[in-house]
Amino acid sequence: MTHFDLFNLPPSVDLDVKALEDLHRKLSLESHPDRLASGADARARRLAAEKSASLNEAIKVLKDPVRRAFYVLELKGVKLDTEQAAAKLKMPLEFLEEIMERREALEAAKAGRKLEAAQSMGKEIHAALTQSLSLAQDALRKDDVAKASLALGRVRYYARFLEEVDAFEEELSS
Amino acid sequence: MKGFLQIHDPLKPRGSVVGIDLGTTNSLVAAMINGKPECLVADEGGSKLLPSVVHYAANGSVIVGRHAFDVLPEYPTDTIKSVKRFMGKSLGDLETKKLGAYKFVSGKGVVRFDVAGGQPVTPIEVSGEILRQLKRRAESHFAGKVEQAVITVPAYFDDAQRQATKDAGRLAGLEVLRLLNEPTAAALAYGLDKGVQGLYAVFDLGGGTFDISILELVDGVFQVKSVGGDSSLGGDDFDRAIAHQVLDARGITAPNVQQVASLLQLARAAKERLTDAAQTELVFEGVPFPLSRADFNAWIQPLLLKTGSSVRRALKDAGVTTADVKGVVLVGGSTRVPAVRDYVAELFGQPALADIDPDQVVAYGAAIQADLLTNEDRKDEVLLLDVIPLSLGLETMGGITEKLIERNSAIPTAQGQLFTTFQDGQTGMDIHVVQGERELVADNRSLARFRLSGIPPMAAGMGRVQVTFRVDADGILSVAAKEETTGITQQITVKPTHGLTDEEIEQMLLDSIDHAEDDMQRRLLAEQRVEAERLLIDGAKQLFENGDLLSREERAALEKEFVRLERLRKIETNHEALKAAITEIDTLARPFVERIMDRAIGQAAVGQRVEDF
Repeated sequence: MTHFDLFNLPPSVDLDVKALEDLHRKLSLESHPDRLASGADARARRLAAEKSASLNEAIKVLKDPVRRAFYVLELKGVKLDTEQAAAKLKMPLEFLEEIMERREALEAAKAGRKLEAAQSMGKEIHAALTQSLSLAQDALRKDDVAKASLALGRVRYYARFLEEVDAFEEELSS
Repeated sequence: MKGFLQIHDPLKPRGSVVGIDLGTTNSLVAAMINGKPECLVADEGGSKLLPSVVHYAANGSVIVGRHAFDVLPEYPTDTIKSVKRFMGKSLGDLETKKLGAYKFVSGKGVVRFDVAGGQPVTPIEVSGEILRQLKRRAESHFAGKVEQAVITVPAYFDDAQRQATKDAGRLAGLEVLRLLNEPTAAALAYGLDKGVQGLYAVFDLGGGTFDISILELVDGVFQVKSVGGDSSLGGDDFDRAIAHQVLDARGITAPNVQQVASLLQLARAAKERLTDAAQTELVFEGVPFPLSRADFNAWIQPLLLKTGSSVRRALKDAGVTTADVKGVVLVGGSTRVPAVRDYVAELFGQPALADIDPDQVVAYGAAIQADLLTNEDRKDEVLLLDVIPLSLGLETMGGITEKLIERNSAIPTAQGQLFTTFQDGQTGMDIHVVQGERELVADNRSLARFRLSGIPPMAAGMGRVQVTFRVDADGILSVAAKEETTGITQQITVKPTHGLTDEEIEQMLLDSIDHAEDDMQRRLLAEQRVEAERLLIDGAKQLFENGDLLSREERAALEKEFVRLERLRKIETNHEALKAAITEIDTLARPFVERIMDRAIGQAAVGQRVEDF
């Protein structure tokens, strides 16, 4: 059963997140273990917990446009969640060089504890991510798996970069 | 039919359920009374706040609450306060040692306090004493058993701290229905009382912990979007800030244990005075130390800034900004400090809500949740959807953390990961479970290590083990592993490195039964007090309903006995004497009871006849 099946929705990158959250709330009300009678047995409790857990996992993936795009691609047969899988993508060399340069710049900013520099890099990367994501979404709508894979390959690098900026921000503020 | 019997088993009455706020400084017990949450009397003198202080006396007796608090300066090493800050911690944990004048038993694993009157005690046992006291108080309120409770924990508590709290409940003889996050509890109390809807922030600054939660309330569903905080930041630190200033001013560089203990109490009192006064004075060892609110505000500024960065992070994790926040709820005694209120108002651009007593609101929420979980009629009203506060992961090559479940994931949740063997003929795999956000394992909290064995020998990369993390609605982790080729499953209970094993808990439960002669005496007395109270309540009810069955003299004699028993119930400390008094009244009231029975039978007989025709 896919995450989309759980909500009885067709797999698509286009989703009304608000409606999805309402639906998740409604389904949680039906399946949460707290809803069981006090006398319910262990098996019923376990099943309810599993159902709730899968609803929670599904909403987490589907409400985030980036995760959702990766998931739709996965349903089309391309999984990009491991190093090996991503390596098979054969990203263009100039892109890899560019991202390497950017990472070096970020490392330098981190070493110098320059938060603002890191944040402004983060902004640029975020813009690039949004652009690549929208390319990927377009490709997925047209069922162009190859194009979507390459675009999401970029998104993957950008997202990793932004995670590092986040972690650095957190480290400095704590 | 079996299920039905389980629900309504007449042989096993479940007793009343309560909600417990097990706080760093004070603890409270609340229950639903006539449909509203109410805090019960928890300490001597009718106080609803039970100071979370436990004193171990040389004669082996254990005192909890105000009396323990009072003897703290005299017995600083035998009187444990703020024990919550030690929950789930080890001696190796940073800052554990600076939290008081305690003597610790050295060793690995769980912290042990060396106290007077017997064995060293763990924070779990100390918390267990506080919970037991609250349980007893609730039992005497209801004149009946209390065996189930919802206990609140800071949202930011990690797995070890949650486990420890649950174990403390078990030691106190309570079935812990749920560990409920404190800010969620507060939101529940507000949401149900004020009927609020929309996005809310709960700013909870207690004695020793700080929590921030962002929640969305829609149609009876309380959905936590994110939590953040600092499980060792609170009002205690404000006291310490004052104490440091006093020590500096006096040029005391190496204060002794008594000095620290009494100075911290003086500092706390001064802090409380500064809530209303702009200026106060602290007299330490006969020397006055004047301090103003402005001074105090400046000293605690760095602590306030720390809360600010947690708030910003929680907002970011929830994907919202302060502009989206409809209201900010204040929880915890430390939010009484004016500088805290001002800071929160500035942070969110709006004054915070504090119209439910910030000391009691968490206990209210716990009582409501306890009711929701046990009261079949209320199940459809409200649902809480909470999150885990810190990411859970595994150690991978090179001491790097691989996150399996990210922080702020909704619970219950489950997440799997496939591992392959990396050596030919490998039959085991070491698994190290960690919690935290940092990249390096060493910077995170180590929860448990275990070895998965029984993998059939095969070529490297062929052995495949699926490891599944499950987090239940209490936020507690369990791990299962399945060897894919053989289908052999292994269920591993993750017992935190800094916790107690099941065997230790069992032993403690046994010990508390075996050796606690004192405890037994107290329990017998408590039972007789409950018995006396029940008799007084029943007696008053019968006098009111069936008083006409008594002559004026009979009634006067009985009433006189009731007054005597009421007094004895409060002052008598010998359970046998109390029991004798109860039996005496029972005998005196027997003719009255017989007349009441006759009347009841007569009425039943009348009813019968009407039905027959």
